[in-house]
Amino acid sequence: MSAAISASALSRRNFLGLAGAGALAVTLASCGTRSEGTGQVSNAEDALLPKHVPLQGLTPDLPGTADGVPPGFFSYPEPFRSVSDVPLTGETISAISMFFATVPNGRADNPAWQEVEKRLGGTLDINAVSDADYESRFSTTVAGGDLPDMMLYATTMQDHAGFLDKACEDLTPHLGGDAIEAYPNLAAIPELFWEQCVMAGKLYYLPIPRAVTGGSGFFNAKRLEEVGVTDTAEIADADTFFDLLGELTDPSRNRWALGSTSFGLTPFRHVFRVPYEWRVDGGKLVKDFETDEYLAMIEYVAGVREAGYFVPGSEAWEKNQMVNKFVGGQTAIIYDGLPGYATYAPSASDTFAPAPFVPFGHDGGAAQTHQDNVLFSPVMLKKGEPEQIERVLRVANFLAAPFGSEEYLLLNYGVEGVDYDMDAGNNPIPTDRGLSDVAVPWKYLAAPQQAVYFPGHEDQTRAVHGGYSALIPISVPNPVASIYSPTNTDKGGTLSQPVSDTAQEVIAGRKTMKDLEKAIATWASKGGDTIRGEYEQGLAA
Amino acid sequence: MTITTRDPRTESAPGPVAEPRRPRPRARRNSRRPVWDEEPSLPATALKGLALTAISFLAIYPMFAVLATSLASQEEIVEKNGLVLWPDSPTFAAYEQILSGGVVTDALLRSIGITVIGTLCSVTFTVLMAYGLSRPRVVGGRFWLMSVLFTMFFSAGIIPNFLVVSELGLLDSYAALVLPVLISAFNLVVVRSFFMGLPQELFEAARIDGAGDFRILLTMVLPLSKGVLAVVSLFYGVAYWNAFFNAMLYLDMDKWPLSMILRQYVLLGQPVADNAAMASEMAAPTQAIQMAVVVVSLVPIVVVYPFLQRYFTKGVITGAVKG
Repeated sequence: MSAAISASALSRRNFLGLAGAGALAVTLASCGTRSEGTGQVSNAEDALLPKHVPLQGLTPDLPGTADGVPPGFFSYPEPFRSVSDVPLTGETISAISMFFATVPNGRADNPAWQEVEKRLGGTLDINAVSDADYESRFSTTVAGGDLPDMMLYATTMQDHAGFLDKACEDLTPHLGGDAIEAYPNLAAIPELFWEQCVMAGKLYYLPIPRAVTGGSGFFNAKRLEEVGVTDTAEIADADTFFDLLGELTDPSRNRWALGSTSFGLTPFRHVFRVPYEWRVDGGKLVKDFETDEYLAMIEYVAGVREAGYFVPGSEAWEKNQMVNKFVGGQTAIIYDGLPGYATYAPSASDTFAPAPFVPFGHDGGAAQTHQDNVLFSPVMLKKGEPEQIERVLRVANFLAAPFGSEEYLLLNYGVEGVDYDMDAGNNPIPTDRGLSDVAVPWKYLAAPQQAVYFPGHEDQTRAVHGGYSALIPISVPNPVASIYSPTNTDKGGTLSQPVSDTAQEVIAGRKTMKDLEKAIATWASKGGDTIRGEYEQGLAA
Repeated sequence: MTITTRDPRTESAPGPVAEPRRPRPRARRNSRRPVWDEEPSLPATALKGLALTAISFLAIYPMFAVLATSLASQEEIVEKNGLVLWPDSPTFAAYEQILSGGVVTDALLRSIGITVIGTLCSVTFTVLMAYGLSRPRVVGGRFWLMSVLFTMFFSAGIIPNFLVVSELGLLDSYAALVLPVLISAFNLVVVRSFFMGLPQELFEAARIDGAGDFRILLTMVLPLSKGVLAVVSLFYGVAYWNAFFNAMLYLDMDKWPLSMILRQYVLLGQPVADNAAMASEMAAPTQAIQMAVVVVSLVPIVVVYPFLQRYFTKGVITGAVKG
C-alpha cells in the first residue's frame, strides 16, 4: 500500500482498536489461506497506473504544479457538466466510510442528497461513523461477510494483502493505462495520487487526493509582528527561534509562544529534518526515531518546555481548546493540518492573522517537510462481476467530479437557492442549512484533486496556495510507502507507541533521554528489526 | 438491659424558674448513648454544611458551566478561555442552530421512542423471568439463573454479537438496540431478590383462593413491588438513553439516537492527532454547540429523575442486602 497513507494510518490508529483488528484476523481466515510473507512486496512501478488525462478548459488563478501544488481559484468558474450520462439505472450501491462533520440531515429532508441520487440514477447507501468508531464498525462489517461495494480503508487490518486478494477487485484491467479514459473525472487525477493506490503489484484502490503535505502548522502573524518578525523564513536557526519563543512568552499577560496537543512535534521534525517514517542510508533503513536528528529534536523541545514557552498542560488539549487559545492570541504558533486554515481564517481580526508556518533549518540550512497528506485514505471495491464494477466506477467518477464542475458544486455546496446562494463575485455562499445537507460523506468515497478555494476571500486563497508552494518543494516521501510489511501492518503501531509515549514524557521532564534510547532499543528487539528486514527485502526486490 | 437516654434537647429548655441564663456546659458524650442521640455541636454542623456544600458544588459546577457556555457567544468563549460561568449577553443561537436542522430533534424523538419501548420491554421480561426464578421448586431454575449471571461476568464480544444480530436480520432496525440487551442480569437479581422477600403467606393464601401464577403476579406481586420496579425502570431507562455503541454498530446514521449524535459532536472536539491527514479533516463545532447538545440530551433524564428518585434508595438497598 501506499506510503503516506499506510504509514500515517498505522501510527494514528493502532492504539485505537487492536481488539477489533485481532478479531478481524480470525474472520479473514475464512477468506482462504494464502502464503504470507514479504512475497507481497511491490513497488508502484510494478503496476500499470492509470493514464493522466488533464482537464481541459479550466484556467486557475494560481497554477498548480506537477509535484502536487494544487491550483488556486479566487471565484467559482462557470460550472460545466462533467458527467453527461446517468451512472446507474435504479440500482443501489453500498459503501462504508467515515466523516468528520456533524450528522447530515436525513435523506427525506435533504434536497442535496435527493439531487445527488437523482443525478446518479440510483441509491448510494453509505454507512458512516466517525474516525474513533471506524475500527469497530469496519471490523464488524467485514466479519458479517456482507461487504459493501465501496470500502474506505482507514484502519489497520491483519493480513490486509490476503483480504485484498480474496475480497477486493483488482482495478488494473478497469483503470490501468488507457482504460481509465472511460472515467474522465478519475483520469483527471494526477499519477502522483494513483501511485499510492498500488498493492502487491496491482491497482487495488481509488484515491481520495489531498494536498501532498499537511504542512507545519500556523502562526499568528500579528503576534510575531509585535516582536519584529514578519515572516518565519527570517528565522535563521534553532537558537534564534528559541530566543523568539522567549520574546513571545509572557505568562503575566497569559501569552505564550506555543501550545498544541502532544506538544505539536511535527514542525520541529521539519526544522530538524527528521526523516518521514524511514530513511534509506546506504541500502539500509533507519527508522525516524533512530536518527540523531530525532533525538536532537526531542532534546530541543524538552528545553523549550523547560524554559516555559508552552502553555502549561497544553499537551493534553482538545482541538477546541487549541483553536480558542490561538484565535484569542494566547498562543502564537500551533500545529494543525494546513487544510485546517479554513477553521481559523474566519476569525481574522486586528489581533489575529493566521498564516502557514514555513519551517527553517535548525542549523541555518534548509528545512524539510513530509509528504504526509498525499491521500486521505484509499478506497477498496468489493470483488464483483465486470458490469457491477463498472457501475461502481461510474459512481466514483461522478463523486470525483473536478472543481469547476456542476457536480462538484452539488456535492460540496448542495442545491442552489436552498443550500447556497451565488454572490456577486460568483462564489457559492452556504445558507444556514447548507453545511448540514452536504455533510453526507460522499467526498470520503471518491474525490478529485484538491483546489485551493475560499469563496470570496482571495487573500486566504493566496495565503494557503503560497503555503503549499513553499512547503511541497521541500517535502520528502516515506521511502517504503508502497512496500508491504506484514509485521508493520500487524503491530507496527503498537511497537512504536511506547517510543512516542516516552518521547512525550521526556519533553514533559518526567523521563530522561536514556529512557528514550532504551524504548527505541526495545522497539528494535521486539519487532522493529523484523519490520526493517521486511522493508529492506522489499526495497531490494 | 435497659438503657435510658435523655433527650438532650430538654437540657436547654427554659425552666419554670427565672434564673439568669448560664452558658450551657459543654455536652459530654455518654459513651453508652448512640451517636445519633447527641445534639450536634455547632462546629460539627458547620463542617457538615461545608462538606455538603463542597460536594454539591462539585456536582453543580460542571453542569452550570455547560449550561452557561451553551448560552455564550463564540467570541465570549474565546475571550474567557473556554470556561464561561456567566454569559455577559446570553444567546440561544447554539440551540437555534442544533434544533433548526431537524437532526437533533429527530434523534431526540428516536431516543425517547427507543427508551420508552425498550424500558417497557425490558421491565416486562425482567419481571416475568424474575418471578419465575423467585418461586421455589422451578424446574431448571438454578440453571437458568446461573446462565443469566454468567452474562454478567463474561461477554461474548463485539463480533459474535454482531454476527448474531446480523443472522437474525436485525441490522438497521431499532430491535437491534433492544433485543440483545433485553434482560440485564443485575436488574434481574434485584427484582428476584425483592420478590423472594415478599411474605410467603400471601402466596399460599392466594393459591388457596385459586389464583394462578399470572394472577398472583399481576394482582399481588406487582402492586407490592412499585418501588423496585421504579428503580429498575430507571436503570433500564438511563441505560437505553445513554447507549450509543450498539447504535453505532447496527444502525445507519439516519436512525441514530441522540446519544450517537452527541458522541459525534464530542468526538469532533477530540485532541488533534499529530498527523496531518487527521488534523486537517476535523472541523470541530463551536464549544457552545457542543454544550447545547449536552444540555438537550440531559433534559429528559433530569425531568424524569425526580419522580423516580424517592424509590431509588429502597430499590438499591433491596438489591444490595438480599442475594
